[in-house]
Amino acid sequence: MTAIEFPSQRVSLWYFRIALVLFILQVIMGLWLSINYAFTLPQALVDVFAFNTARSIHTNLLVAWMLLGFMGGTYYILPVECERDLYSTRIAYLQLAIFVLAAVTAVIGFLFRWTRGKPLLEIPFPLNALIVVAALLFIANVAMTIFTAKVRSALQWMLLGGVAFLAVMYLFGMPFYQNLNTDYYYWWWVIHLWVEGAWEVVTASIVAFIIMRVTGVDRKVVEKWLYVETGLFLFTGIVGTGHHYYWIGAPDYWLWWGGVFSALEPLPIVLMVVDTWMHVRERKNPIINPLTWYYIVGLAIYHLVGAGLWGFMHTLPPINYYTHGSQVTVSHGHLAFFGAYGILNLTIFYFAMPRLKNIIKYQDRLGRWGFWIMTIGMFLLGLVFGVAGILQTYLERFLDIGYSTAQITMMFWFRIAFGIGVVFLIGVIITVWHLFTIKPAPDQPAETLSSERGPAAEGI
Amino acid sequence: MTGKAARWIFWIGTLSSAVIFLWMTYDFHRQTPTFAHTDRLTADVIAGKKVWHRYNCNDCHTILGFGGYYAPDMTKAFYRLGPNNIATIVMHPEAVYKNSFRKMPQLGVTQPEIAQLNAFLKWVGEIDNRHWPPQDEKFVKAYYQRAASPQNLSKVDIVMGACGGCHSFQNLGRNVAGSFDDIAKRIAYDRATLIRYMLNPQSVKPGIAMPPQNVTPETAGIIADFILALKVPKEVRQ
Ligand code: HEC
Ligand code: HEC
Ligand SMILES: [Fe+2]
Repeated sequence: MTAIEFPSQRVSLWYFRIALVLFILQVIMGLWLSINYAFTLPQALVDVFAFNTARSIHTNLLVAWMLLGFMGGTYYILPVECERDLYSTRIAYLQLAIFVLAAVTAVIGFLFRWTRGKPLLEIPFPLNALIVVAALLFIANVAMTIFTAKVRSALQWMLLGGVAFLAVMYLFGMPFYQNLNTDYYYWWWVIHLWVEGAWEVVTASIVAFIIMRVTGVDRKVVEKWLYVETGLFLFTGIVGTGHHYYWIGAPDYWLWWGGVFSALEPLPIVLMVVDTWMHVRERKNPIINPLTWYYIVGLAIYHLVGAGLWGFMHTLPPINYYTHGSQVTVSHGHLAFFGAYGILNLTIFYFAMPRLKNIIKYQDRLGRWGFWIMTIGMFLLGLVFGVAGILQTYLERFLDIGYSTAQITMMFWFRIAFGIGVVFLIGVIITVWHLFTIKPAPDQPAETLSSERGPAAEGI
Repeated sequence: MTGKAARWIFWIGTLSSAVIFLWMTYDFHRQTPTFAHTDRLTADVIAGKKVWHRYNCNDCHTILGFGGYYAPDMTKAFYRLGPNNIATIVMHPEAVYKNSFRKMPQLGVTQPEIAQLNAFLKWVGEIDNRHWPPQDEKFVKAYYQRAASPQNLSKVDIVMGACGGCHSFQNLGRNVAGSFDDIAKRIAYDRATLIRYMLNPQSVKPGIAMPPQNVTPETAGIIADFILALKVPKEVRQ
């Protein structure tokens, strides 16, 4: 008896493994950044390996492991949704190789100052071209799998639409814009329309799939929620892009349109929490792996707090006037990225990786430690950055104290952030270790697998 | 709710938002020439933007509030510091920030690149962005008033508007190069020497890391009086 239904689902394993390694590297680099903040480094070191280089590595690794998780997750889900193997596993591996090659070259290039110097989108043009090739291969593979399938589901289209939207938006970050204000206008087409648009669609689809599989709740119900949630995500998120245009030199009405739509952005997330909660309560299947459930529920709550609540407060124009471009953004960024997308990827990994190793019920003691250390650690980190940010805002923008004096006053909090970062890294290492060495629990339920497949498979 | 209604919510929500957004994008492009003064977007400014990207300044410094939060925002840096200071800081950060708790790397930026960077930062400073960041508005005001009508500015504003990018006074300005209270006690320059020092520090104290200041001799006189007055102990001043 195997836990996966189609052999081609196996390609996702390599995506997950590489993503997990990049996750660790990203956090190590983050720790290094916090050292840059918390202590005075010698000029000689700053001259050869400066904060900007480390930051580009930190953020690019983030994007890379997120995308690997999404792509791997899509490859895992798609055969089940389409009731056929992937169109091509060769393409899937080729695409992975190209993507990883580009990512590794980019990181090495950064060390030698080969960069476009545009935050989060630093990758130079030739490597961007490689990324585009990889993305095209991916989308072609996904589309062909869907087109040649005999079954149709809303989830298939939502996934395809989400990843295609994601890829198209990336193109807007590639040209050189002469005008800084236009440059940042389109920079947000990538960054915002990713995290508050395309990525949300992908997340909602993947979560819908996982919830359907583990709870056994009826497909019709899940897909209905999916339509409403993604509809609201895109309705609020697209015009909500305006919350980044308050201070770039744009007409006044952006304050209203951006402010109001972005204030509505938590709505679909609230819906997601509600529907996760309802489906968990009305589940038809027994809970086999409690840790996977922790992640599913944790994702909903963290998503709401980090992205929804923090985002809501930070993007109201009268507040944003003071908090924009301060450590408050750092706080929001960490809580939202980890809460919405970090945990999403880990949910996918905990759902898929045991199955890829034919494990139905896994030993989760270590993984629970990882879960609690990471989630609490990141929450505290968000709070500490938030305190530092409010302090910065108050000192610089109310008391009129200069930047460097304010930063010295914030030093205490940067040191605490460093300490929490160490703890967080430990949580990450535990989690990654646990996922890599995942083992079956001694008490394997014999009949559960078929019952888990049953209702969902029928619904297709 | 039926499945059909859910699908309608999806399509209406997505398309209506997209239409509004695309229209606003069109309008943004229509109005950008006014807000960002594209007529002043010279070849130098564009070259300066490329320099800004080449050295990846943006992953340490925010600009328009975006980027790394590790170093001061650059949106209004031109007003805060002026071209000479920017040139010296960027070319000799290891000297200017010798005593600072946080260092800026020596990036090897060349003289022509500096001129382009200055053109770029000046252009960015002029973007009509609703007076953000709030803490730099005083520098913008002081910059224009120093040129037009220095007599209307309070002494503290004149001094901090010109020198507050590096020096502090009480809790104002930056403490990168020392507070004026301490400096005033330390220096033994007379008024004329101090003015000369401001306009060309090397001529008075060779090797010092301070750049020549972009102030008129009259403004320099006002600043010199201000600093020399600080020599008198606080109690006597009141
Ligand atoms: C590794 C990070 C880093 C990079 C890269 C960097 N800087 Fe800086 N820069 C700093 C820090 C830190 C300070 C402030 C030091 C202090 O105040 O103690 C600073 C200060 C400045 C200042 C003075 C700001 C003020 O208001 O006092 C200017 C101007 C400046 N940098 C321009 C640039 C330019 C232009 C580039 C790119 C060519 C650049 N910097 C690249 C870290 C960096
Ligand atoms: C770009 C940064 C910068 C700016 C702007 C700046 N200074 Fe300085 N200043 C310095 C540095 C660096 C030193 C040397 C500090 C040291 O060696 O301790 C200095 C030292 C001084 C000294 C002490 C000289 C001595 O002999 O010890 C005086 C006086 C002074 N500055 C006046 C001014 C005045 C007045 C202004 C505004 C018109 C100004 N500075 C603007 C960087 C700056
Ligand atoms: Fe956003």
